[in-house]
Amino acid sequence: MALVSGPGRAGGISSDQELHISKHVAYIKNLDTRKDELEYWLTEHLRLNGVYWGLTALHLLGHPDALPRNETIDFVLSCQKDNGGFGAAPGHDAHMLYTVSAIQILVTVDAVDELEKRGLGGKQKVGAFIASLQNKEDGSFMGDQWGETDTRFLYGALNALSLLGLLDLVDIPKAVSYIQSCENFDGAYGVTPGAESHSGQVFTCVGALTIAGRLDLVNKDRLGAWLSERQIDKGGFNGRPEKLPDACYAWWVGSSLAMIDRLHWIDGKKLASFVLQCQDPEAGGFADRPGNMVDVYHTHFGIAGLSLLGLEGLQEVDPVYCMPKSVIARCFAK
Amino acid sequence: MAESYANDPEWANITPIELDDGSESGAMPLATIAYPTEYLEATSYLRAVMAANEMSERALKLTKDVISMNPAHYTVWIYRAKILLALDKDILEELNWLNGVSLKYLKNYQIWHHRQVLISSKTHFPTMPPKEPDFLMEMFAQDSKNYHVWTYRHWLVRHFKLWDSPRELEDVEALIKADVRNNSAWNHRYMLRFGPRDDVPDAGMVNAGNADISPEEKGRLPVVDEDSVDAELKYAQEQILRAPENRSSWWYARGVLRAAGRGLGEWEEFVGRFVDGNVVKSSHAVEWLADVYGEGEKGKAVEMLTMLKEKYDPIRKNYWDYRIQQLGEVA
Repeated sequence: MALVSGPGRAGGISSDQELHISKHVAYIKNLDTRKDELEYWLTEHLRLNGVYWGLTALHLLGHPDALPRNETIDFVLSCQKDNGGFGAAPGHDAHMLYTVSAIQILVTVDAVDELEKRGLGGKQKVGAFIASLQNKEDGSFMGDQWGETDTRFLYGALNALSLLGLLDLVDIPKAVSYIQSCENFDGAYGVTPGAESHSGQVFTCVGALTIAGRLDLVNKDRLGAWLSERQIDKGGFNGRPEKLPDACYAWWVGSSLAMIDRLHWIDGKKLASFVLQCQDPEAGGFADRPGNMVDVYHTHFGIAGLSLLGLEGLQEVDPVYCMPKSVIARCFAK
Repeated sequence: MAESYANDPEWANITPIELDDGSESGAMPLATIAYPTEYLEATSYLRAVMAANEMSERALKLTKDVISMNPAHYTVWIYRAKILLALDKDILEELNWLNGVSLKYLKNYQIWHHRQVLISSKTHFPTMPPKEPDFLMEMFAQDSKNYHVWTYRHWLVRHFKLWDSPRELEDVEALIKADVRNNSAWNHRYMLRFGPRDDVPDAGMVNAGNADISPEEKGRLPVVDEDSVDAELKYAQEQILRAPENRSSWWYARGVLRAAGRGLGEWEEFVGRFVDGNVVKSSHAVEWLADVYGEGEKGKAVEMLTMLKEKYDPIRKNYWDYRIQQLGEVA
């Protein structure tokens, strides 16, 4: 899945309030034909994330079969390392972020059993890799053995382990207490204790607390006030106070509000209108802002944000996992 | 960069390991990657020396070559840090080189973790390298809200115990002076003044991670230096006067009062200056008054919230309605 930006640009016409589903499907499918572009290999370190973004967007668009299932599974498995984790692409070291994407992809195409059949050590081995990255002292998670810490990794660990039914491999109370320590004086959360509040990190913290069954620890009115303040006059959300709006925050802020039952605090119509202005109505794809180049990351999160708002024509997205609700229901029914 | 590793005698004894992209098994239509040949060659030698865990000068040069082509290659940074420490290289020289790479790739975050790993070495850096703040200010000149740089700076403060270092506050003041809406700088100021110190675990506010403390008590300092609180409140007022509609300074003031265990009521007179009948100079002042009135004069609080809902922040109409409902039945 190429992460090359462009070639299209977001239309930015406010009167165009239609979601161009077939254009977006074609855009995502065509990403694979762009391997000769310079930026393609520069984004190799995100390849498995890219497959997750493209695949999930296609499912939400109602075209789950637009990518070849078997090749998708083969690619995911080819990124697995001996330690059970997954790298961004074959030959890359295992890292939390790609391991989570790998599991999300396998769950989405209903192929977790392939880990037992063809994977290196089955799902237990994947779970052991994730668990090995927890800091036993403070409950946080590292991205890899190198030690970088980020609430994204903690959320990712809980996301993947819960999908695999392996949450008991890690210390949940400690992880919960670490998230609490990331709460700031403004009621929101940062990447590490003391770091500035940031909508993306709020999503990871609230998502992790939801999976851990500890949303009771969130001061929902206070956090909801901060999150709803992210909507600016034009309708879009920014990620931090006094920053520019970006289509992807429709997801990060919107899903966080949905998890704490406060999505109705913002103006959904204005938000949808802003996100729709970020699409390229001709060649497909979404950009961060109207007039900018489209890319698969903003395409995925733009569509996920619109799904959250209940836009017609889209499958429902699960606000905790950022995967189709039907997929999550199937996974947990097993 | 070497002309070609294959033709370089220094690399003659290494058998490069080609990228196994799965294409031989026919598995990979999603990901076959057309790499430039220089990058392909360099990474094939990188795989070989990494597999042998070689700690050498030539391997160090090779990591620099790969980074120059693709600084987002996360694996190469780990290996480079290991070699630098194993060969006992001059870390200051490495930092100098990193400065240039950081300024070139502003969004890259592997660089910042690499820097943190190196500076964590107590043998090399019992105290902070003195030029560190200068370099960070150079980064902020490019992007004064760069999240990676601020997170790194927060780590530096804790690692070297710099809460009271005059330079920290000086830099924060300079950045707020340049852009009073720099929320990152306000957050850093809060951490310097009211964040947890080294006798307690790090957190966004004191006791944030303490399960035994009620949510209302979180952020409240056990010992309050009232002079410092007054000085910070005065500073916040000066900044609010500069830009009354700036959320950051208002939130800061709320955080300061919370840390001191003091109520919003003491600012009633100051805040009132921004709301004179129908002339409103700051929607945040209206919200502040709503909070103050909510304690007793609920009718007036509803009036304020209604102004926000109808005139100053209609995009959040439902939020303000919720706030009004929360006040209960009022005349």
